Amino acid sequence: MVEEAVKEMETDTDGGVTRIYEIGYTISPVVKEEDVEKTVGSIRSEIEKAGGSFIAEGAPSLTRLAYEMTAGESEKRIEHDRGYFGWIKFEADVSVAGALEAMLKKDESVMRFIVFRTVREDTRAKMKAPQLREVKRTDTIKTTPRRAEESAGPVSEEELEKALQDITKE
Amino acid sequence: MANILTQNDIRHVDYKDVDLLRQFINPHGRVMGRKKTGLTAKQQRAVEAAVKRARFMGLLPYIQK
Repeated sequence: MVEEAVKEMETDTDGGVTRIYEIGYTISPVVKEEDVEKTVGSIRSEIEKAGGSFIAEGAPSLTRLAYEMTAGESEKRIEHDRGYFGWIKFEADVSVAGALEAMLKKDESVMRFIVFRTVREDTRAKMKAPQLREVKRTDTIKTTPRRAEESAGPVSEEELEKALQDITKE
Repeated sequence: MANILTQNDIRHVDYKDVDLLRQFINPHGRVMGRKKTGLTAKQQRAVEAAVKRARFMGLLPYIQK
């Protein structure tokens, strides 16, 4: 059964085997926003050159990283806490994956990249609510301060003074 | 009880779905065991691979203090 599935994904086109890949990349935040497209363009041209076709794409956007990454030449390594993260899903010959990796390794503006095999369908999860419990929790948090505000709102200065006097009397 | 992936009919686990993956890691950033996640062996492997990809790309932490 597994063999069948693999055969489905692989289509022979004049001798070469085409497969579906996805590439994810993080571009260094040092790169100017206008120049980010250039790097993405070089990836796209590499795929197009080998006759690959695009399936889906996520435009690079500046995102905060979960940890600091070091990037740059060996002498001056800089730590970055953000980067332009984007991805492309494409169908191409098996040789493209290797060529892309070789190209991106040389590219200094790309901090990290990942190329792997995937499936044609959209793999992003379509989740509704994260979890019922969490929703309930956020509700309780929201309602409690509101009540406090409501009760705090009508309290006039007179009442406050009265309360203060009561305290001082004691 | 059915697990999160089965409940939501998620066949493929994408490394970019950070919110989904966060449900399978503990506050320190470690992947939960199968006893806790309740996933099938196949699903657990998919989650594991996705978490590792997400970590490498800086979407999830390797360790969290």
